[in-house]
Amino acid sequence: MTKTKVNRNSVSKYMIALRVFIIFAVVFTLIPALNPARMSEVINRNDAFVTMVLSRAKLYKEFSRFVKKSVISQGTINLLYFASLLILLCIIALAAGWCMSLGTKRLQKLGLKIIIISSFLGALLLTLLLPVYSEFSTASDKRIKPMFPIGFVVFLCLFIITAVLAIVTMIKMPKLTEEDKYGMEPKYKLFLMVLPFVILCFVFSYLPLWGWRYAFFEYKPGIPLSMDKFVGLKWFKFLFRNQATRSDIVRVMKNTLAMSALGIGTSFLPMAFAIFLNEIRSNKYKKVIQTVTTIPNFISWVLVYSFAFALFSTDGFLNTILIKMGVLEQGKNFLMSGEHIWLKMWLWGTWKGLGWSAIIYIAGITGIDQELYEAATVDGANRFQRMWHITVPGLMPTFTVLLLLSIANILSNGMDQYFVFKNSVNKDTIEVLDLYVYTLGIGTGGAGNIPLATLVGMLKSIISIVLLMGANRISKAFRGESII
Amino acid sequence: MKSRNKKIKRGSTGLLYKRTVGDVIFDIINYTFFALFTLCCFFPFYYLFINTISDNELVRTGQILWIPRGIHFKNYISLLNVNSLGTSVLVSVGRTVIGTALMVAATGFIGYLVTKHEMFGRKFIYRFLIVTMYFNAGLIPWYLNMSMLGLTNNFLGYIIPGIVAPYNIILVKTYIESIPAELEESAAIDGAGYWVRFTKIVWPLSKPILATIAIFGAVGHWNSFTDSMILMSGKPELYTLQYRLYIYLTSTSNLSKLMNSGGNVSKAIIESTLNMRTVKLTVAMVTILPILLVYPFMQRYFTKGIMMGAVKG
Repeated sequence: MTKTKVNRNSVSKYMIALRVFIIFAVVFTLIPALNPARMSEVINRNDAFVTMVLSRAKLYKEFSRFVKKSVISQGTINLLYFASLLILLCIIALAAGWCMSLGTKRLQKLGLKIIIISSFLGALLLTLLLPVYSEFSTASDKRIKPMFPIGFVVFLCLFIITAVLAIVTMIKMPKLTEEDKYGMEPKYKLFLMVLPFVILCFVFSYLPLWGWRYAFFEYKPGIPLSMDKFVGLKWFKFLFRNQATRSDIVRVMKNTLAMSALGIGTSFLPMAFAIFLNEIRSNKYKKVIQTVTTIPNFISWVLVYSFAFALFSTDGFLNTILIKMGVLEQGKNFLMSGEHIWLKMWLWGTWKGLGWSAIIYIAGITGIDQELYEAATVDGANRFQRMWHITVPGLMPTFTVLLLLSIANILSNGMDQYFVFKNSVNKDTIEVLDLYVYTLGIGTGGAGNIPLATLVGMLKSIISIVLLMGANRISKAFRGESII
Repeated sequence: MKSRNKKIKRGSTGLLYKRTVGDVIFDIINYTFFALFTLCCFFPFYYLFINTISDNELVRTGQILWIPRGIHFKNYISLLNVNSLGTSVLVSVGRTVIGTALMVAATGFIGYLVTKHEMFGRKFIYRFLIVTMYFNAGLIPWYLNMSMLGLTNNFLGYIIPGIVAPYNIILVKTYIESIPAELEESAAIDGAGYWVRFTKIVWPLSKPILATIAIFGAVGHWNSFTDSMILMSGKPELYTLQYRLYIYLTSTSNLSKLMNSGGNVSKAIIESTLNMRTVKLTVAMVTILPILLVYPFMQRYFTKGIMMGAVKG
């Protein structure tokens, strides 16, 4: 933004304020607490304005019992819905105007016109919701619980502000000349092209962070989650003071760390696999090994479990053999045993992942300069010396990066594997943090304690990110390169 | 690359280097170890397969261990009678095809856009997208968010969250950066806009990497089952095949519950020819089959993919 540029492409501060307010309007449609159309507590409190409009059938269903008893008329609900739909369209039009305001003067002017019209229309449509409110509040059935949503006021103000700002910007804008054309600078064009995906990413990856607030609210089992009672750090204290929860956490952490440690302790295996595979001279044999050992990586944990089921359950392969050999009298379900679970899980993980993890090292070996090997051979190095002094150091950078990343991921073992192998007998030793959060929060047979599960997940995320940044810093210090 | 590699090897080991006894012993151990591990990886697939095509009575009495006997394919035909399996197959195929297509299209486009240095806020936007690889809010907030957006008990819940895939964006971006810029510049001089340049020049040139991410995406979609379990709990007709299989595997209810009572095959016949274990294994086999079928095609792509990811680290 140099001085000379300012004259040609300057945007007034009104325009900037206008853009900010439009962003507010768009974001607010996603916040349940600011739903401007929630005129009755019958409408789900966890539905944002957008959700409410998108799920029309749900809205009608919620009110159907009142309509049936003629407490309110169908027309009211229709009015509520269609006014909301149109308001949403107005907000979309505002967003469109926002995009146009990035263009040339002519495009900006068009955008401002759209903003002005849709702001007035939006405000007008909002007032159409007032009769709905009055009908709700005079309804004979008190179960309809009328309420005046704060979102109504917020959106009304927003519409008025955007209208005023757009008009002011419009007046302050210089007259258009003949040479002004519709168009947009490439930098904004590209920005608008990527914007939808950025929004998508925001909605699915950043918006959930807003859910961390659940960790600070009261919750009673059986009652839908509400934001009624702020309890501050109650669940933090509960987590550390409640005997049962504390022992659960200790147990789960033990499982998590033990299984992660097994994985990290044996993380040299893929490298060894690749180095030894490289020592096999028959290319065909090599190809077969690589092909077959990689397949398990591509099947899901459910399928791995189906193998475990086929091989180790009561009628399985192992039982049949053991009975034939006379070791066992009767079939035994090996999956229903709580012994050596950590080791077994590690074995399944290795079975599934070893061949796949080795690929990166196999590719790394082909990248090592072959002349090094020749030179070493001339100098009299034997096979093992060459492996140890050339191949291993050549692969070390890759190994270090992966090791650091796995240390950063020490708390995230994922839940798929442990979930499928979990049963009533082994549940104490198999439950890792991710699985515990699931069971505690939404899993069947769990406590259904959403705030506590949110809290545990939140602490896990924070610790993980700190570990990752630590690993990154170590990498920067020793290798001069960051890993993320 | 490969042929050069081979030649040097032969030279170094054959001419300059004599094999000692230790070498021979090492080779024997090495070859044997790999043979055993490869067998370990192969055997479960094989065992599952022979159990589903062998005579069911022999399977039941535990006589099928190494070789199939009394080969028949009735088990696969009788799957047509297993409750709700058909819809699960449809859901799984649907989400794999639609989800992968959208992901590849979107990721390809994003990958292209973020290579454009003239974009407003490019660095920030790229970081904003990529950082999501390293943190997440946790399962419960994610679930509540999905439910707030109305994506629970909704097929779109499988599709939309996966459209923007950060890791794949890195792969595509790295690849596109390696394409000579002149190709695109010549089109730009002719007046082609970004969209035309992307669809006509960059997209066709990036096919190898797009194939790679398509494979990763498709395998991911096909294999996922926890999202089915968490998001679709109120709508069993939206369960994926994997989750359906999980339910079958862990169910202890009897066979008749798994099978439709209607249809032209009477219950008695089904029960005499099938046992519950066989049904479970056959469903598992059907679930594996697509992966095994596309595996030969994807093999040459994923090595490339994982290497490109490694470049970024």
